[in-house]
Amino acid sequence: MQSRFGVKDFFTILLLLAVLISVWLSMTQRTRMELAIESIRVKLGEMERQDALLQRQIEKGFASGVPVAAGAAPAAAAAQTDDAWARPGVAVTRWATPAPATDPTGVPGFAIGGEFTEIFEAQPAKLVPYIQSDVYGTRVLDRVCESLGSFNPKTLKMEGALADAWQIDPDGLWIRAHINPRARFSDGARVTAEDVRWTYLDFIGNPLIEAERSRSTQDNLKTVKVIDEQTVEFEFKEPFFTNTLIAFGNPVLPKHWYSKFEPSQINQGTGLMMGSGQFKLQQLPSGPDNIDVQWTPGTDVVLVRNEQYWAEKPPLERLRFKVVSDELGRLVSLRNGEGSMILPSSPQFNKVLREDADFEKAFYALKWVNMRCGYSFIAWQCGPRAGKGLTPFHDARVRRAMTMLLDRERMIRDIWDGIGIVSKGPMNPESPASDPALKPLTFNPDRAKALLAEAGWKDRNGDGILENEAGDKFTFEYTYATGGEISERLARFVKDSFTNAGILVTTRPVDWSRYQDLLKLRDFDAITMGWGNNAPESDPRQIWHSESTREGGDNFIQWRNADADALIEQGRRSMVESDRMLVWRQLEAVIAEEQPYTFVRVAPWLRFVDRRFGNVNMYRSGLQPEEFFRTSVPAPAY
Amino acid sequence: MATYLIRRLLLMIPTVLGITLMVFLIVALAPGGIGAGLAVQGGQVSDTSKVAQMQAYMEDRYGLNDPVVVQYGRWIARVCPVRFGTTSLESPSGDRIAVPRELPELPMQWAFPAPATFEVTFTPQSGDALIEEFRTLQRDAEGRRRTYVGSVRAFKDALADHVRVLGDPWTARLDPKGGADPTNFRDLPLGGGQPTPVPADAAATWAKVNAAAAQMHQAWSLAEEARQRATIAFAARPFPPAGVEVIRDVVSIDSPDFGVAFSRNRPVWDLIKTALPVTMLINLIAFPIIYLVAVPTGVLASIRRGGVADIASGFLFLLLYSVPVVLAGVFAIGFLANNQYLGWFPVSGLHDSAQATMTFLPYTDPSSVWHRGWLLDTVWHLALPVLCLVYGGFAVLSKQTRASMLDNFNADYVRTARAKGVPRKDIVISHVLRNSLLPLITMFVGIFPAMLGGSVVVERIFTIPGMGSLVIEAINLRDRELILANTFMISSVSLLALLLADILYALCDPRVAYE
Repeated sequence: MQSRFGVKDFFTILLLLAVLISVWLSMTQRTRMELAIESIRVKLGEMERQDALLQRQIEKGFASGVPVAAGAAPAAAAAQTDDAWARPGVAVTRWATPAPATDPTGVPGFAIGGEFTEIFEAQPAKLVPYIQSDVYGTRVLDRVCESLGSFNPKTLKMEGALADAWQIDPDGLWIRAHINPRARFSDGARVTAEDVRWTYLDFIGNPLIEAERSRSTQDNLKTVKVIDEQTVEFEFKEPFFTNTLIAFGNPVLPKHWYSKFEPSQINQGTGLMMGSGQFKLQQLPSGPDNIDVQWTPGTDVVLVRNEQYWAEKPPLERLRFKVVSDELGRLVSLRNGEGSMILPSSPQFNKVLREDADFEKAFYALKWVNMRCGYSFIAWQCGPRAGKGLTPFHDARVRRAMTMLLDRERMIRDIWDGIGIVSKGPMNPESPASDPALKPLTFNPDRAKALLAEAGWKDRNGDGILENEAGDKFTFEYTYATGGEISERLARFVKDSFTNAGILVTTRPVDWSRYQDLLKLRDFDAITMGWGNNAPESDPRQIWHSESTREGGDNFIQWRNADADALIEQGRRSMVESDRMLVWRQLEAVIAEEQPYTFVRVAPWLRFVDRRFGNVNMYRSGLQPEEFFRTSVPAPAY
Repeated sequence: MATYLIRRLLLMIPTVLGITLMVFLIVALAPGGIGAGLAVQGGQVSDTSKVAQMQAYMEDRYGLNDPVVVQYGRWIARVCPVRFGTTSLESPSGDRIAVPRELPELPMQWAFPAPATFEVTFTPQSGDALIEEFRTLQRDAEGRRRTYVGSVRAFKDALADHVRVLGDPWTARLDPKGGADPTNFRDLPLGGGQPTPVPADAAATWAKVNAAAAQMHQAWSLAEEARQRATIAFAARPFPPAGVEVIRDVVSIDSPDFGVAFSRNRPVWDLIKTALPVTMLINLIAFPIIYLVAVPTGVLASIRRGGVADIASGFLFLLLYSVPVVLAGVFAIGFLANNQYLGWFPVSGLHDSAQATMTFLPYTDPSSVWHRGWLLDTVWHLALPVLCLVYGGFAVLSKQTRASMLDNFNADYVRTARAKGVPRKDIVISHVLRNSLLPLITMFVGIFPAMLGGSVVVERIFTIPGMGSLVIEAINLRDRELILANTFMISSVSLLALLLADILYALCDPRVAYE
């Protein structure tokens, strides 16, 4: 083997060098191009802002350009009260153009611009209205799309958003809404009655679109009619109070944009979300030709301010939603300034505040109960388990005793580090449906023992375990989901509490995916779970009515109570809110008396928010990022 | 050699089929079932029975109510590139449109005779009008099918109620879930259309059963009509056929279809297409580092056996090997990435949030501010995940190298070579190392499936949207299509890698031959 540098080697090296040099050149060329593109992008954003400003001024100019004669003001007022669209004889409720619940401009340090980054624990699977199903997608949807109405953050009353007026049939069979003539989608097109009709009948109602979940919640909707360009009417099969939620609570989609896509493209889309909200997705295709432009999971969700927004625009320029799946990673991201808001867990919340005295100087540590707070509970099997024998819990006295045997104050202190309040019933404590005078059952083992004895359970043979008359020992199985330290500790606490009272408890940890099966088959004695919430009131029928003990119903404990049934039927047909709230309070009292669940804890919302953002208010409806502003806006840090 | 290769490749087909069947069975038989991901919470639904009807429709839509073997057969038929039966069409957006499905059979026809069958005939339009017509018909067919499936469920519920009133001996046959199984009530005194005495207290429920049956029959007729119309329009081919048609509506060839992941409602292939490059990128950086560090260290350790290098490297690598990745990841985030401590690296993700506006190369702008650019930013983000992937991999490989080197050092031919005065460098490199490669090959081919699998722990800690996160989520949600596609891919690659190993054996070691 001789190594000699020949002509061939020379050319090989030459070729290699040429390739390397051209790669390098193409890389620098790409860098140059990107700089050019970036400058164009900045200019475009500037132009869009100026354009929106001009439009605003033109609109104002027209308004003020009209000779301001004595009759001008009444004429404008008359235009507002023109009820030609309304059904005669039924009261019209009017709404002002939506405005922030707390005006940010009055808050010290107010500035326009800046980016707010919320850190999610998991990736939203997709951002397509009505097809997405996770909580993360909903948080984005709330910023991008608007419905005819929305809950007032302070009062929790349904108020007009896209609608500037509506009529509700006193008999509850129809609702007519008038859309604010100023309302525009983020591409500048007007929001019309046809968009509303199309959303309900041709988007949600299209069986080729996989919006089955939304479709089934609207089975009471008979039809949606276009009355005129700005007026739409909903007709319903039955008079239920949820009709207003169906009509006012669903985002209105732009027909002209969504109808460009085939149903399969919408089904498989990941970022097809467009509406009339204060923010819009940064990446949005204009049609099927550039459908690849849409957001895909794995990247940050970036919302930019909708410069075309038809009411007051938000101060922030961008909202970013990024994902950090590790709990510590989320906290570090917040501290490093890579995120502006995280959702700490209960232990983390207290731990950070305990260990770092300076934490609250840089961050708000928010903890409050709002309408979106759910509750956790232990459900008792009131009917036959899996169609076989009855459990001891068919007796309400036993269920009351079980609740009294659990020291829930201590549970919250020991298991959740003191975060949370004792739950007294299914109604959210912030909601008017919950009676503030009703207090949860107190921890009282003696009273519990007496109740158990009354129901026939006492220690008859002195072995420390309760027996009934037939000599059967009081024993039951406690089912809980595996994979969480909290649920393990809860299970131990429950077992200890009941064992002390002479009740034999076996614990059955099962995988969460099996829960559905167990609930469906009603195959458990006691099971622990939680219910979520996202509105001030919800229809209790699905969980508490005896009809819901059938398959498909969520009354998996098979609790049947004639009083509750009657109250549920009465309440859901009661269209007057104040009357209905009284009915719900009665229902709450019945449930509290019967204790089909032992209500354990209402989990408050926990948030850490960067103090560089102002106007962060804890509302009864949650948070309103539309109102936040960044006090000082430094240049991007990279 | 060629025959050997062909035999091995052919043998792979049944092996892959066997693997997928096993996985399919495990997923299908797992408690909780695959339907759990589809389960629907009632929420604001006004009527409980509507939820059950909707669930019935979902099961029908995804074919979950068929026997497991049938479902597996359907999966194979979709994945197999050779398709039999009516050719699917390809819409302009690239979607495959299959021929409208037959309706599920009407239950209890022995007691409630089915309506007369009928043949719909009409001439579909042509051109663009046909496309429009077909879309409308398709939508109608699906909508009416949904109504029909729901009405079957409502009928079964009504029947179950009736049976409950009739009492034993039939109630024993009721499924605790409700929704009676009609095959269980063949001896129920319903009569084949003849008036049968129904006990007075069951008259109300019997009337409801009849009403539900009438409604079901009506829904069936409507759905059947819509289905036939859609089928006729389909046969007129509004869109071109998908793939290559060999014999019209008998055999065609098309790319494998891995279906739609129902946990995310996206095509499985799309999900893999976005996750795979991420995992491959990390592994393509990590594996060379492992090999470049571990193999030379192993060689060195075997040459200086018992020396400082041997003991130190063995100690260090084993120490690293014993640190769990979870712990290392948390330390990395808590100290290396935390601005309170070192803050050298980013916490999560693959790119900075400003990546869209980044230049590719580092760049100093006119005001002499340095921007790191996309390339360096990516390297910077990858540093911690790659570190976590790499550190535990040194020990096994370097020990393996060292052991097989030592084996060969003690072999006769090395002693001979040494005796005849071959330079030590040549002995180590061209004799010992070359002969020590065989065990390394076995380990090397294991890389390929690992590259597709991704690392669950590292991906989770550093929020990297790779294959590991995808698969673990699919398993948690019992997303069968996604699990199957993954298994299929990884098992195919594993088998190919094993074949590659065998070929490499033959190349490295002249003693190995496949004849």
